[in-house]
Amino acid sequence: MSLAEIHTRASRFRTQIARRNLIEYAAAALVIVVFAYIAFIVPAPFVKAGAIVLILGMLYVVSQLHQLARAAAQDEINAAADLMGFHRQELVRQRDALRGVWSWYLGPLIPGAVLFLFGAVLSAPGPLGAQLSVGFAGLGLLGAMFAAIGWLNQRAAAKLDADIAAIDRARGG
Amino acid sequence: MSATSEQDARYAEAAALYGAMLQRLARANEADPDRRRDLLQEMHLALWRSLAAFDGRCALSTWVYRVAHNTAATHVGRHIRINRGLVPIEAIEALADHDFSAAFESNDEIERLNALIRTLRLEDRQLLTLYLEGLDAAETGDVMGLSANAIATRLSRLKTHLARLFRETAHA
Repeated sequence: MSLAEIHTRASRFRTQIARRNLIEYAAAALVIVVFAYIAFIVPAPFVKAGAIVLILGMLYVVSQLHQLARAAAQDEINAAADLMGFHRQELVRQRDALRGVWSWYLGPLIPGAVLFLFGAVLSAPGPLGAQLSVGFAGLGLLGAMFAAIGWLNQRAAAKLDADIAAIDRARGG
Repeated sequence: MSATSEQDARYAEAAALYGAMLQRLARANEADPDRRRDLLQEMHLALWRSLAAFDGRCALSTWVYRVAHNTAATHVGRHIRINRGLVPIEAIEALADHDFSAAFESNDEIERLNALIRTLRLEDRQLLTLYLEGLDAAETGDVMGLSANAIATRLSRLKTHLARLFRETAHA
């Protein structure tokens, strides 16, 4: 590749990264707009509160995604690290993201999701007992879904831990 | 000389010295011709970007090998999650020796050897391609971040295991 081509590609690379980040943030912004609209038009206070708390949770998740993307970019900068070191650094980054999935992804969405769910079922017509039954059934489903996501992530993190330990053994660390 | 022109000069030197190596590495890591071309361009771009921070902490050759292999690992990892679907060397039956260097020089055997290399786990793939480039154990150790002894031991096992597989596929 000529130097002129390298310069052009480096510039295009920066544009691509910026565009990719924009698309990710736009997807989050869309979800936020939808829940903001719900919070605005639905009079039920718990639904309104749930939507607002969900928005706050989503903003936190986006900020954490941004941090992870910055860490990944840092790895690219360290491209001249020795191969085992680079590989280990990449595995550690992935493992930490998987292991911390409750604190940066699932956890922040739980309060809003629970509030929204019970707000929705309690504002529906019907006796309180039936409303609560539907609410707890939904809560069970939500809990099972979050637990499954959490379990799969922990399992993947444990596998990466084993890979990291193998690298440390190879390096005599 | 400005920082950018220094970076450009270093890149020009590295590309002239190691351009052919980058092509061979792309071929050893990527079977698909379009993705191989992308990988080669990624390696050149990563090399140019990295040379802004080149501080002489290691030889230019070591620097180039590291950046090229790390870029290839990231590229391959995007298409196949690392080590999933790839085999550890222990999974390959052991048998006799084979002259891999000669195979790497012979055009009709290169693609077959590359196909085998692409089935290896990341570390083994990196080790074997560095060996095929003619780096000795100490140089390979510098690039990989392992001791020369560890490199020699792993390479010996890898060559023995791969020789068997290479011969078996030749007879198949």
